[in-house]
Amino acid sequence: MAFLRSYSNASSGMGVADDCKHIFLELQRKKTHRYVVFKIDEKRKEVIVEKIGGATESYDDFMASLPENDCRYAIYDFDFVTEENCQKSKIFFIAWSPSVSRIRAKMLYAASKDRFRRELDGVHYELQATDPSELDLEILRERAH
Amino acid sequence: MYGGDEVSAIVLDLGSYTCKAGYAGEDAPKAVFPSVVGSIYQAGATDEVKHEKDSDSMYDSENADKTKTRKLERLLIDPKEHPMLLAEPSFNTPQQREKAAELMFESYKVPALFLAKNAVLTSFASGRATSLVVDSGGGSTTIAAVHDGYVLQKAVSTSPIGGEFLTDCMMKSLESKGVMIKPRYSFKRKEIRPGEFQTVDLDIPNTTESYKLYSQRAVASDIKESVCRVPDTAFEESAYANVPMTPYELPDGQTIEIGADRFKIPDVLFNPSLVQTIPGMESFAGSASVSGLPQMVIESINRCDADIKRELFSSILLAGGTASMLQLKERLEKELMEEAPQAARVKVLASGNSIERRFSVWIGGSILASLGSFQQLWFSKAEYEEHGVSNIQRKCP
Repeated sequence: MAFLRSYSNASSGMGVADDCKHIFLELQRKKTHRYVVFKIDEKRKEVIVEKIGGATESYDDFMASLPENDCRYAIYDFDFVTEENCQKSKIFFIAWSPSVSRIRAKMLYAASKDRFRRELDGVHYELQATDPSELDLEILRERAH
Repeated sequence: MYGGDEVSAIVLDLGSYTCKAGYAGEDAPKAVFPSVVGSIYQAGATDEVKHEKDSDSMYDSENADKTKTRKLERLLIDPKEHPMLLAEPSFNTPQQREKAAELMFESYKVPALFLAKNAVLTSFASGRATSLVVDSGGGSTTIAAVHDGYVLQKAVSTSPIGGEFLTDCMMKSLESKGVMIKPRYSFKRKEIRPGEFQTVDLDIPNTTESYKLYSQRAVASDIKESVCRVPDTAFEESAYANVPMTPYELPDGQTIEIGADRFKIPDVLFNPSLVQTIPGMESFAGSASVSGLPQMVIESINRCDADIKRELFSSILLAGGTASMLQLKERLEKELMEEAPQAARVKVLASGNSIERRFSVWIGGSILASLGSFQQLWFSKAEYEEHGVSNIQRKCP
């Protein structure tokens, strides 16, 4: 059905920079990054990579790289061990939209999400969060299991 | 493609109670006015006020035309020069959308148009592409599930209980207690000594019954907004029999006191059958079939696919004037927590800013239409002429 929905209702028409996809593939295949934070560059009318977190960085480092009062998109590679003692990894897409950010930013990021999200093929779970409690590590764990 | 960068677009949200209009990119609508049409018959002898039908069905009505024209006049703009973003009800059918597009291009000759669904604009303006929008406005309450920027049509439900209905309840209840609200135009109030007023009745002939009612309702609506608050638990006559009375001063200086009604009237939103106990409102036929707010929310969510239910429960958004009622958010959250499935985390969200809450649809449209990247998405007049009106479905799905 995806091809039928090439336009999202009331989308923003925002493009996606080439390296977003590229870096996502690196995270997915080579596992060289723990997380990637993306932002919208309004002048260039596209989504760009803002920050890349190394493979050894922690979830707290990731949380610290999300601004308190502005929106971002992020992907996080969540490693965990199942009850059968099996090493697994799941990729989360996070739409970060803190309630204190400006309404313009919220609108911009929400309206551009669908198009951007579809560029990243292979995301397992998607979360939208308006405050840090919605991104608790426990919530990721719950979803992944 | 239409390059709309140079002139700012007009954003219109035609509500059932008020119309919101203004330029894209601004923080709040420039013009907010009642969706009523007053028409003058027989050389100015009568001035009949008619309530505009809900924007939902208004594309068919002739009055819609009048309201729109008036609105454009009010803004002192020429519709030929500005692209127009029109917010539409979430349950508009493809036929209604085409009708609206035709009207805009043919009668108003807009250079470009975009139709965006109310619920989607509200959802985006709260930073969410997926949410359950509870929009309680003047004429109705609409609940719509939005997923990735699309309204899930099967999960849209509406009820006729909105602010107007509660205003009616307030008026009837006051009438049954012997309070007569004098319309503001029917008297003059003078300060004869400091702090002392004299009210003189004026005789204005040729005013119609409908205009009188309209003016009375304006007062009743203010009473409602000033004193009402949603009770923490379901309303019970006996528990509220002894609540302290709250005074309210009517425009003519008469002070009335409102007791249990302060809580009872907003509770109609949660429990429509309560209407039966309000004198003069017993005839409201729908009370048996209309569900309360929490039931509507749960029914809507249950009509969605299992994998998004959980997300919808945790992003319930409140919008519209009536949803700003004191304690409504807390009460809704509490009732939903009791009735939602165990695993669901219920979260009801509302903007802390009352302007943003009331005008979320308009503000969402205003931001969207002002984005540089959005300009390529307009449905232009040239495309309309070349591909026909049905193309609106593809451009603005």
